[in-house]
Amino acid sequence: MSKREKIVMRAVIAFAVLFAVAPVANAMHIMEGYLPVSFCVAWGVVCLPFLAAGFISLKKKLQENRRVITLVAMSGAFVFVISSLKIPSVTGSCSHMTGTGLGAILLGPAAVSVLGIIVLIFQAVLLAHGGLTTLGANTFSMAIAGPLVSYGIYKLCGKCKVNKRISVFLAAFLGDLFTYCVTSIQLALAYPSESGGVAASAVKFLGVFAPTQVPLAVIEGILTVVIVIALETYARPELKAVGFLKEAK
Amino acid sequence: MIVIDKLCYSSRLRYTNAEVKFTYAILTLLFCVISRSLVMAAIVLTVNGILTVGKGRIPFVVYRRLMLIPLAFILLSTGAVIVNVSKSPLDAYAIPIGSWYMTGSRASLMFAARLILSAFAAVSCLYFLSLNTTMTDILGVLAKIHCPQMMVELMLLIYRFIFVLTQTASAIQTSQKSRLGYQDFKTSVRSFGQMAAVLFIRALKRSNALYDAMESRGYDGRIRVLQESYPPKRKEIVLVVLFEIALLVGCILQLP
Repeated sequence: MSKREKIVMRAVIAFAVLFAVAPVANAMHIMEGYLPVSFCVAWGVVCLPFLAAGFISLKKKLQENRRVITLVAMSGAFVFVISSLKIPSVTGSCSHMTGTGLGAILLGPAAVSVLGIIVLIFQAVLLAHGGLTTLGANTFSMAIAGPLVSYGIYKLCGKCKVNKRISVFLAAFLGDLFTYCVTSIQLALAYPSESGGVAASAVKFLGVFAPTQVPLAVIEGILTVVIVIALETYARPELKAVGFLKEAK
Repeated sequence: MIVIDKLCYSSRLRYTNAEVKFTYAILTLLFCVISRSLVMAAIVLTVNGILTVGKGRIPFVVYRRLMLIPLAFILLSTGAVIVNVSKSPLDAYAIPIGSWYMTGSRASLMFAARLILSAFAAVSCLYFLSLNTTMTDILGVLAKIHCPQMMVELMLLIYRFIFVLTQTASAIQTSQKSRLGYQDFKTSVRSFGQMAAVLFIRALKRSNALYDAMESRGYDGRIRVLQESYPPKRKEIVLVVLFEIALLVGCILQLP
């Protein structure tokens, strides 16, 4: 081998080794300390109105009926546990659900925003997915933008009388994809490319994360459909109880 | 179960005052992110390593494994920062592909190094907090800094329920596995979906029973827990203040 070939060979081996040991990417949590402070604060501020709206509506529900608190807390714990379990995947890598689509369909976007930020805090502290400084950015992409899209699509499909299964799949799948796009854009805004600026950078981040995130979104969509079907078969009264949360808007 | 939560109960620093630990972790985290300095990140990484592994007696092997969790994210996204596709080559390296170049500048390589090291230092701050402080202590601190009461209440309940549900989920999954429920992709998807649905139903049932139990014990919208207090030692406060002042000076001097 020539010297140059050797270097290339070594680089390739190093790359392969790194990726072989790397625990495969979770959902798109931006890691602790990755965003500059100004962006952390800005995304936090963007989240505030949504969180306040969710908070107020939840508080109102609680004042009407205090019993709701355990219901809300159980739902939050459910989203956390579902997102912490390994899900089946085709490639054999280990990945997790985000639970945003399921949460939005079951609980409605208002409740999910508040539960989402709590779940994200627990994910950061207990599982080291995401972080405290990036909490604002992660909350926006996973607890606000994703669920809003999921919920919107679910309602829209309901209006257009699309098959229920298809509408659930689309809601979860597109909600997940949207989360991933928002995260890529958040990263791109913080780190614009040297040649081509924010847009070029966004394309790069989208491209880099696509191989893990697109299959994940499909699987998340399928799983959400399976879960919703099972719930509708066995748990109509329970669903009604949760539907109570959804009216809160 | 959840590794970090289990470890923090056996940490030797568990009974150190939670507010001191919280303040230290958050301030250090902020200085790391603000400065993005290689020197400061190296210092913070070392100090946190000594505190968590040396003082807190968290096994080094586990600590190393935990530190590597964000590795995939950092490799992928830093890759996206340093690789550009452009028609004109930049100064650090340029690999021609047809009439385009895969290229990057020296400045961006330097920046990527700072980014990686300071992000790892930030992660070590997060771990210092979560591996040495129990969640109930963290919630106590949150209540003291006037986080809305409803939030703290919800977090306390959710924290408790997480373990109840994790246990239920793992029991269901064990019995599914013993019946070949995760044999191939198709059965896995079905099993997982059924497990999640049953989990949800059980969670709701339990939430009703739980509310009854709480109410019969006089629940009035607030759970009052006796907070054990571990007053901070003067030595700890002085050390933390000195360290943070040193980091602040480092920030102002703009260390490399």
